[in-house]
Amino acid sequence: MSVGDLLWRFPSAKMAWRNLGRNRVRTGLAALGIVIGVVAIASIGMAGAAIQQQAASDLGSLTNEVTVSAGEDSDSNGLTDDQVEEIRDLVGDATVVPQKSNATEITGRNGEEARVSVTALTEASTLYNASSGEVPDRLQSGALLSEETATRLGLELGDPIEYNGRLYRIIGLLESDSGGFGDFGGNELLLPLSALSEQEYYDSATIVAEDGDEAEAIANTLESEFNQQARGETAEILNVQSFGNIQEQIGSFLNTLNLALLGIGGISLVVASVAILNVMLMSTIERRGEIGVLRAVGVRRAEVLRMILAEAAFLGVVGGVIGATISLLVGTALFELLTDNPLSVLGWASAQYLLWGFLFAVLASLLSGLYPAWKAANDPPVESLRG
Amino acid sequence: MSVIELEDVTKRYPSGDGFIEALKGVDFHADRGEMVTVIGPSGSGKSTMLNIIGLLDTPTEGIVRHDGRDVSRFSEDELTEERRSGIGFVFQAFHLLPMLTATENVELPSMWDTSVDRRDRAVDLLERVGLGDRLDHTPDRLSGGQKQRVAIARALINEPELVLADEPTGNLDQATGQTILDELTRLKEEENIAIVAVTHDDQLLEYADRVVRIVDGVIQDVEVTRA
Repeated sequence: MSVGDLLWRFPSAKMAWRNLGRNRVRTGLAALGIVIGVVAIASIGMAGAAIQQQAASDLGSLTNEVTVSAGEDSDSNGLTDDQVEEIRDLVGDATVVPQKSNATEITGRNGEEARVSVTALTEASTLYNASSGEVPDRLQSGALLSEETATRLGLELGDPIEYNGRLYRIIGLLESDSGGFGDFGGNELLLPLSALSEQEYYDSATIVAEDGDEAEAIANTLESEFNQQARGETAEILNVQSFGNIQEQIGSFLNTLNLALLGIGGISLVVASVAILNVMLMSTIERRGEIGVLRAVGVRRAEVLRMILAEAAFLGVVGGVIGATISLLVGTALFELLTDNPLSVLGWASAQYLLWGFLFAVLASLLSGLYPAWKAANDPPVESLRG
Repeated sequence: MSVIELEDVTKRYPSGDGFIEALKGVDFHADRGEMVTVIGPSGSGKSTMLNIIGLLDTPTEGIVRHDGRDVSRFSEDELTEERRSGIGFVFQAFHLLPMLTATENVELPSMWDTSVDRRDRAVDLLERVGLGDRLDHTPDRLSGGQKQRVAIARALINEPELVLADEPTGNLDQATGQTILDELTRLKEEENIAIVAVTHDDQLLEYADRVVRIVDGVIQDVEVTRA
């Protein structure tokens, strides 16, 4: 069944379809303009979505963390066990990693010495990744050393490290860029909490949330629970640092950039609709006599109007569908390139631009068809029959 | 009762500072079953008269009655309904739509009436004008005479009581013109319609029941050829 047969029940649409078929080159060129407009809008939108998604995942490890340490007004010079418990109660599902820190010098097999920062913690795997060996979920015995430092000192997995009179066997080497903010790559030694048991308080606690938004919320909760005093005064019991708002700022910058680019894409659709206006106007002027015949034999003005609007709408729909299809391919390539996950092109964040591109195309075409249609429908038949 | 009746009709067009009076108090009527031929030199006002008879235009003064109803002050939309239901048109240049088949061209005036299916009548009319084997041909595959027959079938699709023919043989050779006029005359009898034809062609006078001559916007004489 051809499209023409399908449209039999809609006379205006049927006539419009046949009219477009009369000059295929002109119809094709008009639709091509719309295709380009849709591809411009949809591809730019999807590229923006891909960049945003990539930025979020790059910044993710940084921005979903909140770091807490004792504030100026704290009674102790560190976090107490009670405070850590209180924090755990407040943050819900987020993981709280209390840490004690120190610094020491270690000597390697080759006689080299290196100064390293010592972090004693239990939930090691929450914050660190291993390049070899493994990072245990709960660090009870053994030590982890930055890979860089280990290489320099000639230390390998299984070698012992002495700290404070006790020996710890190296069970894993740390990726140099693993860990949270403040880890400046290397020279880090991880030990179980028991190694620093002579320190009464924790120096800091790192809270790992789902995402930047949650981290921001946790930071706000901690501020108000610990630092808001009666009568609206504040005291810094806890020093709370979070980077969630960085993600927010970068996101809003990317949004602005995206809007500006979409505006440029939009211009191409405006140009395309002017081309459609031109094509529709030309073709109605060419067909003036024909439209006069239609009006003479009793076709109503509204029916002529609908017929010509349907022509414009077809241009928009056909151009829109082709444009959206091309954009989907372009978008898939962009996501493959930027995020290594081509299927996320189908997520609403990017797929919505296909819908917008298509809707804008149909709308722009209809608007462009409005004037030619109105002009053709209201031409007095006596005038138009004269040619 | 006349199918169409013009009573003291005047039509003026604005031109420069003043007016051109294309019709000056014209009286005219056409009845079912008769063919009236309007002749006159160019610029005589016969096109204006045909436009008013065909309800494509309204008079400046005077009364136009279609089927006994005064339609002289009808709006464009009301006139469209009158034309749609009661008047068929045959043009000198055929004016078929190139992207439609013969059958679809015949159906055109009723195409937007989805309530009635005129397909059978369209096929019947095409068979009656001898085009039963050309139903699915587009106009570019039809000869001039065949195109005009499609146009005649189109004029009759809505069972009008009046058909207007503007130089119906003007683009045809003598022999083809004659067969078209035979066709029109036969359908006039079969469908019991009034035909008003405008022409330069003397051939048409032979087929006319009445000839009306118009000069300078005034009806000069009325000649009854066969009473």
